[in-house]
Amino acid sequence: MRHTCIIITICLILLLINGVSFSQGTDNRSNNDLDIDLDLDFSIEEVEKKPYSINADIELQETIRFLDSDALLFKQKYLDTKKDDTFWQTDIDFTIEGQYQWEKISLYGRFNSLIYYNKEVDWESERKAEEVYITFQPSVSLAVDAGKKVHKWGKGYAFSPVAFFARPKDIDDPDATLEGYTSLSVDYIKSTEGIIQTFAITPVLIPVTRHINDELGLENEIIWGGKLYLFTFDTDIDLIFSVSDNLNNRIGMDFSKNLNPSFEIHGEAALVQDHTQYIIDEYGNTNEEKNTAFNLLLGLRYLSDMETTYILEYFHNGEGYTGKEYESYLKFIETGYKQYLNTTSKTAIFKSKKYAAWYNQQAAMKDYIYLKISQKDSFNILYLTPSITFIYNINDQSASITPGITYSPVTNLTLDLKAGFLFGKSNTEYNEKINKAKVVVSIRYYF
Amino acid sequence: MKKILITVLFSLCTIIIISPISAYALDGNEILEQVDGNLNPESYEMYRKLINIEPDGTKKEFVMFSVKKGKEKIASVFLSPASEKGRSTLRIGENMWLYIPNVGKPLRITSLQSVTGGVFNNSDIMKVDYSAEYNCDKIEKTDKGYTLYLKAKLNSVAYENVTMFIDSEKLLPYKIECYAASGMLIKNLYFKNIKDFGDGVVRPSVIETDSPLYKGYKSYIVFAKVKNRELADEIFSLNYMSKIDGLR
Repeated sequence: MRHTCIIITICLILLLINGVSFSQGTDNRSNNDLDIDLDLDFSIEEVEKKPYSINADIELQETIRFLDSDALLFKQKYLDTKKDDTFWQTDIDFTIEGQYQWEKISLYGRFNSLIYYNKEVDWESERKAEEVYITFQPSVSLAVDAGKKVHKWGKGYAFSPVAFFARPKDIDDPDATLEGYTSLSVDYIKSTEGIIQTFAITPVLIPVTRHINDELGLENEIIWGGKLYLFTFDTDIDLIFSVSDNLNNRIGMDFSKNLNPSFEIHGEAALVQDHTQYIIDEYGNTNEEKNTAFNLLLGLRYLSDMETTYILEYFHNGEGYTGKEYESYLKFIETGYKQYLNTTSKTAIFKSKKYAAWYNQQAAMKDYIYLKISQKDSFNILYLTPSITFIYNINDQSASITPGITYSPVTNLTLDLKAGFLFGKSNTEYNEKINKAKVVVSIRYYF
Repeated sequence: MKKILITVLFSLCTIIIISPISAYALDGNEILEQVDGNLNPESYEMYRKLINIEPDGTKKEFVMFSVKKGKEKIASVFLSPASEKGRSTLRIGENMWLYIPNVGKPLRITSLQSVTGGVFNNSDIMKVDYSAEYNCDKIEKTDKGYTLYLKAKLNSVAYENVTMFIDSEKLLPYKIECYAASGMLIKNLYFKNIKDFGDGVVRPSVIETDSPLYKGYKSYIVFAKVKNRELADEIFSLNYMSKIDGLR
C-alpha cells in the first residue's frame, strides 16, 4: 500500500512539474486563429440592484479512507471490532446564504445542511446556521454587527495563532467556511494623511451562557477583546487581545507585507496566559501543567514567473505536546490495547480516550512546516489547477502529503480530487492516525 | 567674425531643435494626465463585465462593481457568476488584496496574477492612473494623434514599458502595447466604442485585449454606468472589503 502511495505521489508531482512547463505560454499556447463569430452580450443586468440576494451551492463528495488497523489511534477507536480496511462515506452538502438590505440595516444568514451515508451510521444528517447576524451601518466608517458571526483574524494560511474568536481551521482545507460564535462587534475605520494611512478598531464581545457559545466555557461568562488594525509603510499590522474571567487571556499580533510584487511575507505571534496542558504518560499517570504558551507563525507566499504559487509556513504551537509527551500517550494506548487483548478490560483504553480531545486534534505537537504548491492553468487548460500540500511534523519527522487537482470546466462548477498519504516511523503522529491514506472526490455547483 | 556667426547660428539651431523636444517632454506627461482624466473621473463608480474567450469559443463572464478615487485607489466586488459572487479586491498603490467570503479575511495578491483567469491580470482589472505608474519618455506626433512611450516609475509595476496610441481630438487612447523589461510584447489593449456615460464622462466602453503569449485567447472589459461619486477614503481599506456591495 505504501509503495502504491509513493508511486501515486511521484506521478502527481511529475504532473505538477509538467503542468508548470506547459504553462510557460508562448509557443505552447494554441495557435488556433479561428475567426470566431463572437456573439458578445454587453448588457449588465446586475446594474439594477435588488434589496436582497440569495446564493447557494451544493456539493457531492465521496471519501474513501484506507484504514490502518496497525495504527494506535485505530486500535483506540475500534479495538479489534472493525474488520474492514476501507471506509466509504458519501456526503451531500447544501449551503444557502442570503442578505437583505434596508437603508442602513442589513441582515445576513448562511445555513448549511449535510446529509451523509456510511456503513456504520447509515443515513444521517446535520443542520446548522453558520452565520446569522444583523448589521447597522450608520456611516462608511462605522458598523455594528450582532449575531452569530465568524471573526477570522490573522494572516496565516493553514494556521492562525491569533484567531482568538474563531473555531479552529481544518488544516487539510483551510479555505472551508466556519461556524461563527454569537457576538457583538463594532468596526470603526479611519483613514489619515499621515504615516498610518488607515487604522481600524474592532472590539468584540462574546457571551457564554448555557445555550449560547456553551462550548467556549462556563455559563454566565463574557469574553471580550478586540483588534487594532494599522496600514502603514505598505504593511498590514494587527494587534489583538482576548480576556475573560475563566478562560485564558490572550494577546497577539500579526503582519503581512509584500517585499516585491511576487513575494509576500506574513507572521503571527500570540501569548496564551495560564494555558493548561493535560498530559498522560505511558503508564497512565496524568498531570496538568500550567504555563504561558507562546505560539508563532512565520510564512511566505511566492508567485513565480510561470504562475506557480508557493505557500510556506512554519508554525510553533506553544500549546502542543513535545515529541516525548506524544510518544508516551501513544505507548499508553498500546499498553491499553494489549491489556484489552489479554484481559478484555477496556479501562486503560477508555482512560486514553479522555485525553483524545487534546492529543488527537490536528497539529497537536509543537513544530510544523506547511508547504503548498499550486500551478494555475496547467497543461494549457484554463481553470485547471493541480496542487500538492506537505505538512511536516518537525518533532517526530512524520508527514502528510496531499496532491490534488481542481478544475472548473464551466461557470459555477468545480471538480476536486485530492489524495492524502501519511508517512512516519512507529509511534509518530502521522503514522499512528486511523487512516494511512484518504481519497476525496467532489463536485460543487453554485447557483 | 565668421567664427562668431557660425557659433551664433549653431546655437540658434540647437535652441530651435531642443525647445520643441523640451516642450514635448513636458507635454507628454501633461497629455498622459489629460488622458487619465478623460478615462477616469476623480472619484467614481462603475459596473464592468469581463469576458474571457478561449480559442474554442468557450466564454466565461464576470460582472464587477467598482469604485475608484484619486490616482491609486480602486475597490471592486464580483456580482456574478455565483461561484465568484461576494469576492472583492482592493488596490492602494502597489498593494493589492483579494477577499473571498469563505476564507473570511483579505489576502495579498500580486499585479501579475489574475483573479478571473484569462488575458487580463489584476493590474488590468484594478487599473490605476497611468500617470501614477509611468513617466513619458518620448512623444511622437502621428496622423491620428500622438504616440507616447511610457516607462514604469517603479519595478513593481506590471509592465516595464507601455506604448500608448492616442486620438488627439478626443485625447483618449485607442491602443496600448504593454512590454516586459526584456522588450517582449506581453499584451495589446484596444479601446473601443466611445460612449457618453453622462455627467461629462465620455470614454471607451469596451477594452479588448489579446496577447502573443496566449494565442487564440481574447478578453474584453465592458463598462456600464460610469458615474461620478464622492467616496470616503475609508472605503479603500481592508475592513471595508466585505461591505463594498453595500455601496451600490
